[in-house]
Amino acid sequence: MRIRTAAAICAGKLARWMLHDVLRRQASQLPGRIALQLDPCALEALAIKARQGTIVVCGTNGKTTTTNLVADALAAQGKHILCNRDGANMLPGVVSALLPRHRADWAVIEADELSTIHILPQLKPTYLVLLNLFRDQLDRAGEIDHVQDTLVRALEASPDTALVACGDDPLCMGVAVRAQRNGTKVLTFGIAQDLGRTPDRVPEARFCQLCGAELVYAYRAYAQLGDFRCPSCDFARPPLDFAARDVHRDAHGMRFATVRTHTQDVWHVHTPSSGAYMIYNLLAAASAAQLAGVDERHFVQAIDAFHPDNGRLQRFVVDGRDVVLNLAKNPTGLNQNLDLLLSDARPKALHLVLNDNPNDGRDVSWIWDVDFERLGGRADVSRITVGGTRAHDLQVRLKYAGLPAAVTSSVSQALADARDLSSTTPLYVLTNYSALQPTKDELQRKARHHA
Amino acid sequence: MHERTVTIAHLYPELLNLYGDSGNILVLRKRLLWRDLRCVVNEVHMGDKASLADADLVFIGGGSDREQTIVCDELRSMQSELRSYVEDGGVLLAVCGGYQLLGHSYLMGDEEVRGLSLVDLYTDRGSPRLIGNVVVQSRICAQPIVGYENHGGRTHLGSGIEPLGSVLHGYGNDGTSGAEGCLYKNVIGTYVHGPLLPKNPGVADWLLARALERRYGTAELPSLDDAEELAANRAMLDRLLP
Repeated sequence: MRIRTAAAICAGKLARWMLHDVLRRQASQLPGRIALQLDPCALEALAIKARQGTIVVCGTNGKTTTTNLVADALAAQGKHILCNRDGANMLPGVVSALLPRHRADWAVIEADELSTIHILPQLKPTYLVLLNLFRDQLDRAGEIDHVQDTLVRALEASPDTALVACGDDPLCMGVAVRAQRNGTKVLTFGIAQDLGRTPDRVPEARFCQLCGAELVYAYRAYAQLGDFRCPSCDFARPPLDFAARDVHRDAHGMRFATVRTHTQDVWHVHTPSSGAYMIYNLLAAASAAQLAGVDERHFVQAIDAFHPDNGRLQRFVVDGRDVVLNLAKNPTGLNQNLDLLLSDARPKALHLVLNDNPNDGRDVSWIWDVDFERLGGRADVSRITVGGTRAHDLQVRLKYAGLPAAVTSSVSQALADARDLSSTTPLYVLTNYSALQPTKDELQRKARHHA
Repeated sequence: MHERTVTIAHLYPELLNLYGDSGNILVLRKRLLWRDLRCVVNEVHMGDKASLADADLVFIGGGSDREQTIVCDELRSMQSELRSYVEDGGVLLAVCGGYQLLGHSYLMGDEEVRGLSLVDLYTDRGSPRLIGNVVVQSRICAQPIVGYENHGGRTHLGSGIEPLGSVLHGYGNDGTSGAEGCLYKNVIGTYVHGPLLPKNPGVADWLLARALERRYGTAELPSLDDAEELAANRAMLDRLLP
């Protein structure tokens, strides 16, 4: 190792020790930033710490959950893991995650899509898992074409990385087809049955990635994900390497089987969630875990023990009322959350928070692409409140969906406003990025206070 | 029939829908229904043989560069009909990419693309992209127009063309002239993208009044309770203006 690199890593570790062990502060960014200041190529040297391999997870929605599931499964299998669990997914966050420990078996790394161009050439992961591509933060990320180009270039710079892509997503397959032409090995996952869900109103990608003709679907799971094909060329959902089958929903969530086509291995999976997106997250995690040598027993053990404490579908009880907190930062994510809320048979209240801080994307136009109209005429959605720096934008959006909503200052205020509702009425709290942590902290304090 | 109807032609919603453009249609529709007026929305899709004979209001949204080019090729077949519609006082709202199509030309990469020449303006390109919240004072409504812009293009108005308004915050047509959008007969072109109308009910009602005036000879519109819309508008003004 070059002296400069050794010094960079040493300084990063020192910063991490100070922050994490002495000051007990978050150390998810700064140590990496310090190391990168001293050596912009520090990641390349850190990459060899993961002796058996590295899995990078990216995609618009579901990154943090899937990354944590894969890391938990490998840990259950007895592997030593390095992972950026809290979702610091740009280059400094990835470097920070790889600083601790001398060695590990696997690194499991969440990566921001546009950051893959900085991460992949140095990290050269064994697998890149590509979950989905949706419109998100157009002002920051640019149009989806640009995100796709970046992923193709990142894979080109790491030729031994195998791409594990969602075969149901035409936008992921657009990346996969181009990467394959450049020599990248591609594996795919998808849902091999019709879930019978209503399609979203504003489609993400209706056109063939190769010839521009309008795609046709045998069925859709949600957004543009489904069994698609182009009527005028051979672009279509590929034969799936990992398929979810036999999906059953009940009051306790969903159960389904994942089938690895190549070996005919079948895993039986259960989740308390009922969203179609969660099938994809679990299927992607199962695919990566199998590729990394995890067995069914340890995977199931990991997901049974999976209780997110990062605000992603996190549950609280405040004054005897169930509170469900989730991240919703783009139309597809919010539509999936509305489906989740409507699948709860109880009467329920909803609190939405919309901020426009730089890490949220300053442009909030996307709320007009959300199907809030699905809540219209539903007697079981008994109250809606809105908060955040763009609370008034939400209020207007909901007014035009026929849904009266009051502006509130905080989740505590939303809970106070719901006091006259029966305590059997859960409160669903959906926030975009920058509002998630403060809302979670507030809920945690209230839940603890009343425990 | 004494029941007044406004027929909206929504051009290529499957391609031009980048920034919540459907919100503009939803607002027009609801503001008619709340006044017991009828609203018909005709979506014009690629390959349709569209006619503007019934149209009272034409809407063109924004798309990515690729989609904008596909639409521009298609629209050229309607060019003379669109021109007669505009010259006859037909109401048209074009946002972002749709706004650029109204002019003589725009740049796609380094290539000049011929536009529809409905309004005397043209668009070239500059760096950086002009991105952010925008506030515009326009003569068509009392409340300043608030919204968001995100464009690489710089649009230059011909000498006889009035801008939609003057920029109080943000960039507007080119970041230097202080002008935003264009206002020509009953045509509005603007970079205030996606949901222009929800927080600017005055713009929505200006469009509806012009459409009713042209069809029925009276622009009379019963007033609505716009408390939420105006509160959202006010919240942005308070934040952005000194």
